[in-house]
Amino acid sequence: MPAEIREDVIVATEHIQAPPEVVFPYFTDPELIVTWIGQRAELDPNPGGLFFLDMGEVAAQGSYLTVDPPYRVVFTWGIPGNDALPTGSSTVEVVLTPDGDDTLVVLTHRGVPSSHIGDHRAGWEHQLGRLVVAAS
Amino acid sequence: MIVARVPPTPTPTDAVLRALADPHRRQILRLVRDTEVPAGQIAAGFAMTQQAVSQHIGVLKQAGLLTERRDGPRRLYSLREEALEPVRDLLAEFWPDALRRLKRTVEAANPRTVKE
Repeated sequence: MPAEIREDVIVATEHIQAPPEVVFPYFTDPELIVTWIGQRAELDPNPGGLFFLDMGEVAAQGSYLTVDPPYRVVFTWGIPGNDALPTGSSTVEVVLTPDGDDTLVVLTHRGVPSSHIGDHRAGWEHQLGRLVVAAS
Repeated sequence: MIVARVPPTPTPTDAVLRALADPHRRQILRLVRDTEVPAGQIAAGFAMTQQAVSQHIGVLKQAGLLTERRDGPRRLYSLREEALEPVRDLLAEFWPDALRRLKRTVEAANPRTVKE
């Protein structure tokens, strides 16, 4: 499904044929999360707990803000050492809504510095380019 | 899952990503993002030979990230912002691509018995 960029917000949605109880741990269990994003993860799914994802060339790091199984999880997201998107500078909110026996996943990434060409946009876009390459 | 063993053809986006992969070149882009800057002035900002700076400018030009204008003997450079568009699109695909993998993984690990 497509994403739309509105100012500094990215929204992505997906429909999954499994209930939220099955989908939710894929955002909190290090062994499950790496089956779809990253290569190695350190996750402490409690408010304030570490969110760390090694994606090969680049890592994402932040902390969990809200963990409300099996419907909602919010964590901060940044790239360690990158001025454009420092650790914990943006927020990813995942909402799992039951749809019969299935789940509608809505992921909202806020605080992405994309709306103007600041000091660091080139750096940020380069990092994201690497991120995209590393994660796919 | 797509299984492709053919090496992918380099795209303009690859050239832009490669151009952005160097900190000196990103610095050059910062210098020219708001205003046209003469080549000499760009070179003056770096502790490397003029030739090395020219090479970086060449890579940026090839990737379409710089516009060059001649003013008598001087060459003036400015950022060509449109060249960053494909990279931005790439960024926009990051989460949808990830969620698509999540869908495949979850559904493969939790197959439903078929009911029509």
